[in-house]
Amino acid sequence: MNTEASPIKVMLVDDEDGFTTLTKMNLERSGKFVVAVENDPVNAAERARHLLPHIIVLDLVMPGMDGGDVAAQIRATPELSNVKIIILTALVSQEEDEASTIPIGGKNFRSLSKPVKIERLEAAICEELGIA
Amino acid sequence: MEEFDHREKPAPNPVDTGNKGLFDPDDAVTRRIIDSLPVAIFGKDASDAFRFVVWNKKQTELTGITRDQAIGKTDFDIFPTDEAEGFRKADLGAIEHGEPVEIPEERIDSPINGVIWLKTLKTTVQDSRKNRRWLLGISEDITAQKTAADKLHRTAEELKATQLQLIQAEKMESIGRLAAGVAHEVKNPLSHISMGLDYLKGGVKSDDPNLPVVVGEMSDALERANSIVQGLLDFSGNRSLDLVGSDLASVVDRGLRLVRYEIARSKVQVDIAVGDDLPEVLLDSSKFEQVLVNVFTNALHAMEACDIQESAHRIEISLENATVDFETPEEGERGCRRLKSGEKAVALRVTDTGCGFPKADAEKAFDPFFTTKKTGDGTGLGLSVVQKIIILHGGHISLGPRKDSLRGAEVLILLRPVCITKN
Repeated sequence: MNTEASPIKVMLVDDEDGFTTLTKMNLERSGKFVVAVENDPVNAAERARHLLPHIIVLDLVMPGMDGGDVAAQIRATPELSNVKIIILTALVSQEEDEASTIPIGGKNFRSLSKPVKIERLEAAICEELGIA
Repeated sequence: MEEFDHREKPAPNPVDTGNKGLFDPDDAVTRRIIDSLPVAIFGKDASDAFRFVVWNKKQTELTGITRDQAIGKTDFDIFPTDEAEGFRKADLGAIEHGEPVEIPEERIDSPINGVIWLKTLKTTVQDSRKNRRWLLGISEDITAQKTAADKLHRTAEELKATQLQLIQAEKMESIGRLAAGVAHEVKNPLSHISMGLDYLKGGVKSDDPNLPVVVGEMSDALERANSIVQGLLDFSGNRSLDLVGSDLASVVDRGLRLVRYEIARSKVQVDIAVGDDLPEVLLDSSKFEQVLVNVFTNALHAMEACDIQESAHRIEISLENATVDFETPEEGERGCRRLKSGEKAVALRVTDTGCGFPKADAEKAFDPFFTTKKTGDGTGLGLSVVQKIIILHGGHISLGPRKDSLRGAEVLILLRPVCITKN
């Protein structure tokens, strides 16, 4: 687990490279986070196994493999079985966002709806990781 | 000097007034003959201001004007001025050219019968001096045929309007089904813009190296969101049929974009093959996109309902030049002339890897309200409307098993490179 001394390692999995570019810029600006971006969901689980991020921010609707399958692969990887996952998707309405979790494969994952304010994303990451 | 001849001399020849050559309409036999005819007969004297000299019984029946009221009068004395002007113009034309003139339909406002329609032939009769002296007219009452033809035309127009309304209604239904997908598609570029704004709000220096990237991404996202919304507006609008030369491959591409979300969700692979030298086809792009949305959505649903490994599912789309190898029925007044056997066409083929379409269902697939989906899941109007749109384009659509005999269904659409309307 990170401390205030070392930045939080975030892995951002989303096929929209414009979104991942801008989100990475925003998250890394404060120095609190360092972000690895993966735009191809097929590679996400394997890449995560190498990076060992503290948290994965995962889109749902992606070509080739959707976020649900990526989450399942991550959970099935022993090194990643306990990594936190936040679902960030345009599928979720603002109302559903209020409910805060989305069930995938029998497990509930924290969810946020796009578009999302960077402060909200930062707060959600910190809450999931139990840090201020 | 000639000898004076006291023998009774024959009466001198009457002055040749030119009247010889026209039968005497006052002759009883003549009158009985022309009165017995089932067509209206009239005659006018061109040398006497086109006054009527012949007027038979049928002419009286049709116009309500008696012989006594007509003989010696002109058109202007017995008909409304606008009608009389038309008659006079035709009379002058016939006299001038000497050729029979056919007036396929002329309107008479009869005091007894109301508005009647006549088909009239006007011809000239020469006098003994070979002058075109008389105008002879023969009229047939075509009121019943004209009324029926007008009614048929109105019915055809109403039918076409109803068809277009039905097409529009089905389109609205499609838009409803697409709404979730479109919302998702628009939210993505909106989230780019939101992230970009968040970065800018955090304060940027003018020499911030990220600034061009941020502004560029936001700009691209804005264009993308606009094009998604515009695509939906274009799809939803345009009630009338608006045929323009179009690149079919581009239209197919736009159709795929409308269902991009559904395709992404279903994890179906989509392959497109475009043949060489495809001609433009005359398309109402908006309506044809409606066809494509329907066909692609049906394919996706068919594969979803088919219990095989998801990763095996694919949609294959091909566009190629083709030759029609069957007869299609002639369309009526409404549509374009339909394709004929041997004609060149552009073929759009869409195949899926679902469980296929039984032949019995394929024959009924285009019937309104026929559906293989469960109750409440679609009205079944989609393919009947799709077929109507294709017919309006002068094309042909069929649905059945895949031509390559693999599992799944195939939709074949044939389109004319040029559409020739009946009018």
